[in-house]
Amino acid sequence: MPCKKLLLSMLLLGAAAGCSSSSSNQSDEMKEVLPINEYTQLVSAPDITVSSSSKSKESVEPALVGIIPAQLSIPAINVDAKVEHVGQLPDGQMDVPKDESNVGWYQPGAKPGERGNAVLAGHVDNKTGPSVFFHLGDLEAGDLVTVTDEHGLAYDFEVNAVKSYPRNNAPLEKVFGTSFKSSLNLITCTGTFDRDAGTHEERMVVYTTLVSE
Amino acid sequence: MLRKFMAAAVAMVMMFGIIGGTAFADNHEAMVRVIHASPDAPAVDVYVDGEAVVEGAEYKQATDYMALPAGDHEIEVFPAGENGEGDPVISQSVTLEEGMKYSAAAVGKLDSISLWALNDDMEASEGKAKVRVVHASPDAPNVDVVVKDGDVLFSDVAFKSTSDYAEVDPMTVDLEVRPAGSEDVVLEIPGVELKEGYVYSVYAIGLVEGDPTLEAWPMVDATNMPSEMPQTGMGGAADQSNTVAWALLGGAILAAGTGIYLRKKQTA
Repeated sequence: MPCKKLLLSMLLLGAAAGCSSSSSNQSDEMKEVLPINEYTQLVSAPDITVSSSSKSKESVEPALVGIIPAQLSIPAINVDAKVEHVGQLPDGQMDVPKDESNVGWYQPGAKPGERGNAVLAGHVDNKTGPSVFFHLGDLEAGDLVTVTDEHGLAYDFEVNAVKSYPRNNAPLEKVFGTSFKSSLNLITCTGTFDRDAGTHEERMVVYTTLVSE
Repeated sequence: MLRKFMAAAVAMVMMFGIIGGTAFADNHEAMVRVIHASPDAPAVDVYVDGEAVVEGAEYKQATDYMALPAGDHEIEVFPAGENGEGDPVISQSVTLEEGMKYSAAAVGKLDSISLWALNDDMEASEGKAKVRVVHASPDAPNVDVVVKDGDVLFSDVAFKSTSDYAEVDPMTVDLEVRPAGSEDVVLEIPGVELKEGYVYSVYAIGLVEGDPTLEAWPMVDATNMPSEMPQTGMGGAADQSNTVAWALLGGAILAAGTGIYLRKKQTA
């Protein structure tokens, strides 16, 4: 397993080096971030088609296959939690796990490991104290997140960024929307608890992307 | 007292505010993705309003949706690595309406390349999936798209046009592409997954004659998204925002009580 990860890392580094050598010598200003730049990631179309019989057959590359998550492990913040499946409440809001020590996988979304945004939500606190995602905000870029299915098949994801948003102005498209990348987004509540509204004032998202299988 | 009422009123307004309407519509934004579907065009850099949004995009590559302010925008496509100088391969103005999603596809062979702006649907009906075909193959004839051993889904779709979206039961299906009205199959598209609540555009790209060859590029226009982030906190470990309000209220009651007591003392 370590050998496979090393090989994959080398391949990724090689690919990254290849990409940078083909870009022009621009000043750093060109790459400076407009808000839109952070959304632009290039990904190729999956080759999943077969030509008609009059042409030579193309090799068919399988699309990335996701797993149905059963367990979530985040060693950096001592999280080792069971994963429930959650959907939408009648008003369309994402539902939460029945047991607040578990995390909830948004089932209508992507499976961890396949192309798209897979989303896991966990409670920051319960009525009396901290809960499963209380330390989510301590995660840093580079920390690893592992999702495992019931057969033990595991995918690793790497933290890219940790962001907080006002609860009514979270970028739902970015968290739940269509994407060519294979991402796992971890969400919880954060900020001041507004007792009149019965909820925290902010939502936190930890953005991670697939690094290996 | 007034402060507590105000806080409750604000909470009510905010609650009604979140029903319906996505965040990017509230921010007066539209969502756009850029697609390189020109089979013989080189890698390109794409500029919006004079700023690079993607560099080195090759054929069969696309960006994710990007949020842009609603309104008019200038899109320019340059050969990659030219710093956006010289003549662009494409220069086109687009008008984006807030809350809408668009795909800006570079289509056609290089000598007649253009930027095709498509409106992407964002929702499917309850319990359904939505799918359409987008004909982006410059030398393919008008096509029918059929379910293998089943019904015709779309007929007579021409290059640089789309079928309407069809609403179907969620399923995984094998599709076939045929010249319009013909039984011959020019392209098979096996295992197309159509999930509940999702919106799909299946692009036909590439060339019938020569390379890159004709193939399908199924794209997700919209996923089955929730309307709001989940309620993942109960306040047991959090700072609370109304402690100041309670302190003021408590102080006001104390002051009022003291005032009444003093007045009573005077009149007694």
